[in-house]
Amino acid sequence: MKELLIKNGFVYDPLNKIDGETMDIAVRDGKIVEEVKKGKTIDASGMVVMPGGVDIHSHIAGAKVNSGRLLRPEDHYKDVELKTVLTRSGVGYSIPSTFTTGYRYSRMGWTTVMEPAMPPLKAKHTHEELNDTPMVDKGAYPLLGSNWFVLEYLRAKMYGECAAFVAWMMNATKGYAIKLVNPGGLEAWGFGRNVRDIDDPVPNFDITPREIIQGLCKVNQILNLPHTIHVHINNLGKPGNYVTTLETMRCVENLATDNKPIMHLTHCQFSAFAGEDWRTFKSASEEIAEYVNSHSHVTLDMGQIVFTNTTTMTADGPFQFTLYQITGNKWVNNDVETETSSGIVPFQYKRKNYVHATQWTIGLELALQIKDPWKILLTTDHPNAGPFTAYPKVITWLMSRKARDDVMKKVNKKTRRKAPLSAIDREYSLYEIAIATRAGQAKALGLESKGHLGVGADADISVYNLDPKKTNLADNPEAITKAFKKAAYTIKDGEIVVRDGEVVNSVNGRTYWVKVETQANLFEIEPELKRAFEKYYTVKYENYLVPQNFSAHQTPVTAKARIKS
Amino acid sequence: MIVKLHLKKEIHVPVDAESISPDVFAGKLVEEIAELPLWKGNRKVPLKDVFGVEGISGKVTNELVIHIDGNLSKVQRIGSGMTDGEIRIAGDVGMHLGVEMKGGKITVEGNVGSWLGSSMKGGTIEVNKDAGDYIGAPYRGSTEGMRGGTITIHGNAGTEAGRYMKKGLIRIDGDVDQFVGIHLKKGAILVRGNADGRAGAFMTGGKIIICGHLKSLLPTFTIDSMKSKAKVEEEIIKEPFYLFIGDLAEHGSGKLYLAKNKNKHLETHEKLLQ
Amino acid sequence: MTLVKNVTCPICGTLCDDLEVEVEENSIVDVRNACAIGEAKFLNFTDPKHRNLKPLVRKGGELTEVSLDEAVERSAQILAHAQYPILYGWSCTSCQAIRVGIELAEEVGGVIDNTSTVCHGPSILSIQSVGIPTCTLGQVRHRADLVVYWASDPYSAHPRHIERYTSFSDGRFQESEWEHYVTRLRGVLGKKRLSRASARISMREVSIPPIADPKLPPEFETEKRKLIVVDVRKTRSAEIADFFIQVEPNRDFELLQALRLLVKDEELEVDKVAGVPVDLLEEFADILISCNFGIFFFGVGLTMSSGKHRNIDAAIALTKDLNYRTKFAIMPMRGHFNVAGANIVSTWQTGYPFAVDFSHGYPRYNPGETSAVDILQRDESDASLIIASDPVSNFPRNAAQNLVKNPMITIDPVVSPTTMMADVVIPSAFVGIEVEGTAYRMDCVPLPMKKIVEPPKICLPDEEILRRILLQVRQIRQTGGKA
Repeated sequence: MKELLIKNGFVYDPLNKIDGETMDIAVRDGKIVEEVKKGKTIDASGMVVMPGGVDIHSHIAGAKVNSGRLLRPEDHYKDVELKTVLTRSGVGYSIPSTFTTGYRYSRMGWTTVMEPAMPPLKAKHTHEELNDTPMVDKGAYPLLGSNWFVLEYLRAKMYGECAAFVAWMMNATKGYAIKLVNPGGLEAWGFGRNVRDIDDPVPNFDITPREIIQGLCKVNQILNLPHTIHVHINNLGKPGNYVTTLETMRCVENLATDNKPIMHLTHCQFSAFAGEDWRTFKSASEEIAEYVNSHSHVTLDMGQIVFTNTTTMTADGPFQFTLYQITGNKWVNNDVETETSSGIVPFQYKRKNYVHATQWTIGLELALQIKDPWKILLTTDHPNAGPFTAYPKVITWLMSRKARDDVMKKVNKKTRRKAPLSAIDREYSLYEIAIATRAGQAKALGLESKGHLGVGADADISVYNLDPKKTNLADNPEAITKAFKKAAYTIKDGEIVVRDGEVVNSVNGRTYWVKVETQANLFEIEPELKRAFEKYYTVKYENYLVPQNFSAHQTPVTAKARIKS
Repeated sequence: MIVKLHLKKEIHVPVDAESISPDVFAGKLVEEIAELPLWKGNRKVPLKDVFGVEGISGKVTNELVIHIDGNLSKVQRIGSGMTDGEIRIAGDVGMHLGVEMKGGKITVEGNVGSWLGSSMKGGTIEVNKDAGDYIGAPYRGSTEGMRGGTITIHGNAGTEAGRYMKKGLIRIDGDVDQFVGIHLKKGAILVRGNADGRAGAFMTGGKIIICGHLKSLLPTFTIDSMKSKAKVEEEIIKEPFYLFIGDLAEHGSGKLYLAKNKNKHLETHEKLLQ
Repeated sequence: MTLVKNVTCPICGTLCDDLEVEVEENSIVDVRNACAIGEAKFLNFTDPKHRNLKPLVRKGGELTEVSLDEAVERSAQILAHAQYPILYGWSCTSCQAIRVGIELAEEVGGVIDNTSTVCHGPSILSIQSVGIPTCTLGQVRHRADLVVYWASDPYSAHPRHIERYTSFSDGRFQESEWEHYVTRLRGVLGKKRLSRASARISMREVSIPPIADPKLPPEFETEKRKLIVVDVRKTRSAEIADFFIQVEPNRDFELLQALRLLVKDEELEVDKVAGVPVDLLEEFADILISCNFGIFFFGVGLTMSSGKHRNIDAAIALTKDLNYRTKFAIMPMRGHFNVAGANIVSTWQTGYPFAVDFSHGYPRYNPGETSAVDILQRDESDASLIIASDPVSNFPRNAAQNLVKNPMITIDPVVSPTTMMADVVIPSAFVGIEVEGTAYRMDCVPLPMKKIVEPPKICLPDEEILRRILLQVRQIRQTGGKA
């Protein structure tokens, strides 16, 4: 029995409606409990206590991330981590090596991170890397929005069969949620084409993105998966794409029941562009916020821009090709048979560039104009809009108008003149930050034992050296950044793993995947699938599967499906 | 103010001597310099384990001269990032000499290893014998080439001299290996000897002058004109040159001057000028 | 007797995973679906003449049989005391073993390098300078209507590549060209027979007909999959190709750059590039542009000829240029079955794919400086661990000489010139036959390697051997043995 008491901290636990009350948090054997009698005590007086940070969308592992690492030695040279007795060495910056990724998240107080783009054919690769990413719990979303089986089932409106296939897929890839990236567009990219909007049919497949989105949304409902469908829209990163974003959200409106989210629209900053072209480009954050404020079936995350040299990487092959054309930088494209594509382009976000500066405002505008913080979560779409190590900065921008103004003074003049951000006064409270970085993320992911500090929750806790009673945080942005950069303590499963921003204990963390439970035999389609499989893939069916014990610490989460037998 | 270092004995594993630089030495006593850290293979050792140290150090970088002798061919990264002062090397020296140098002067009596003056921004380097590959070139993956300064090699040079150079001057009195001036953006490279071929591959701007024979011209260069002289900084080379423009595969407008008298095989291009 | 299906072949980067192996009393009696090389490996790997079956340590100049513990202890001593050890090989073992190898390299402050340093290292350097548009092999099977093998002879080196993934495979949007090929081959064989017959009749040597036909065959107009081979000589693969372009040795760079100009609709000022008439090149450029999905596969003929990684720069740049006109991809033909895996594991753990130097306590990377061959040529290393590789035969002479003059540990199932020169020999089990694990195909698709038979008792998996050495090294360190 291992016990721990965190005494006298200002506790922010939004899922239990605790807003900065001075409380003790008791931990026994990795779980939060009512009280403990003995064991170690952390004096957290004058400090902020929150559930461990949760990241719903961060590219940390797998084929694409690793190609990014390989592509950019120049990203690593000057940002290195030395080997210590406890920790492995590694490199940063925008695409850190696996060990370094785990340590850096943990140092900021994060304890759960989701890899949002796993090509099923290369699922083993993702899991091998997650296995080497210490300190945090993890999961990965298989890419299904251009998968041939999915497209064929949905074209035939065989939702039950498609659901059975997706359930099989979660098991085969040890996946956590359904990911759609430029639905249908990635199949078109197989021949160098794309789809124009959600009603433009996918070449050779006679199905529209709208049908794919709606279909997988229904499948997700049938399977009762813990997370909603996780959508990267068509036309991402194009001026005027907010129309596509609105249509994407609207197209599943009718499927919503009891005010519950049924779609997560990711890195929304890249999907809130107005204008005809890059010259007339402007923010459409108001249009998006207005819709989200009056509907409850979607959650979003920010994809906040940071002015830095980073690496863009998405499964959206055609989008990455456009970035290559714009920048002339080195470019990786990697199409995966029967499933998906991917692309990588190094990118420098510059303050003085009108488009980049406006993108910076869009992310913040969305977070500040959407009233309900449960609906918009904090991300940088690591590393696309900036590395996750910039979270302390993003938190500061949300909490302090002064911090935003300081940046505004230095950005492109036209942006400064036009951006709605200049007129926004709202500042997040620590309670709202706890929602945007923990509670809201865990809730959207359906991770019931994460994101809160109630009895029974996993003892994933972060303690920050920040005293909201003594310091007016909004006026002291540096204090916010400093505190969130280096957690005073990070506690993972009841163990102190970080103290004063340094790793003091290296732990592995689990990899979650969703095991669908149903009365129906989910593998009924197997013989049929196997036959098609031989035709569609260059690997054998048996060799495609990620075995149960493939990597250490795989942890199934069960979902009770509603498939009829 | 001169600090003299001499190699105590032959070394086997490579020595990383980033701390041998006027910027680091300035303001330190000789005894303190002797304690500066070096990497000898995977061991951190004080400088005095590898070098004997004598002389008088100075307070100010620009008054400081570091004189080093012994076979330094396995000693790397001397003068890394230096901003001022002078380093004189009596014999051969290893890789990464003067990387990211910003100012000051380095002279080498002997040969020098690869990545001489990588990504340097200013200052001068002079080598009396031969240099290795990648003079002034950035490291793998990077396109931050030389941004300024002058490198002079009195002997021959290896491949890819001046890769991604943006500003500055490289002078090579002897011959160069393949790919001189690859990805050149701006700045100038003067080769007084022969070049092994593929000069200016992927270049988009800048100037390469080859006074000797070029083994073969890339098919992606087009003849522009005949010139009676070529000019680099104040120096004028008075002899007839072919001026080619390229690399067209990169839509480049770099200038490649090739001495007419040494490159008879290019005569066929002359008819395109008529 | 048992039949093991879906076996992945531990030979080359094609990593065929459809082999069927028949096992009787822990011995392999038959193999189906494999190429000749794969079959030979499965049927002959147990040959005791070639197998390391005893841990050996050199004592008084002679390799002497010792216990495994002693061999491990000796290895740990060598590595713990070395100031700049090299840990080399890694392309013929599992990713699980490579993971431990990197941890060991980090612990001893050594340089870990894999065989890509002497094959496709230049391809990686090139990717780092320009990127790469590529795909998995299934994309080629389903979509490619143009397949170009450049300086690569799959017929000999990757025997099932064409049949499984390219011209002779059957895809969703592209049919196999197998039948077409058979018809044509019959014609070619007939011609050869005729010429041999005529040689006998006329009693004189008939010279082989000239190989480079500088005109495109008429069937090129048809809408079928096309196979083109570009090489310095007419290889076996070139014989089955629809068209063969012969390039002068060491002139690929010029040819590729010229093509880049042509696919941008610009003109060349010369009549011939690398021995190829410009007319023909223009036609070639047209074919490249007008396909729906094209792919270049390139081999070490391109990475190791004059220009090295700059040849690949040009090939990738051409592929990028072609993507403005159509869909085009490019892929290196990786040799050893898990060389891609060695790069991949190294990259996720250290940020760099090969030639990683831990001597300063963190990963540093600079091929040319931190690559095994270069370190050895400069004679900077003082010890080595070689795993599943034979550098004594494959490295340049002076590099090999400098390698063997310092303490050398080898972990290998087979006897090789390297194991014979070693100071410590630790026998190991064959990955993919006697040990399971993960390997990555040339297109970076992970595949499971199977354990089919039990290894000899003394032959442990590489992973296990490395773990034991690592443990010993840590013990030596803790007791202050490092000083």
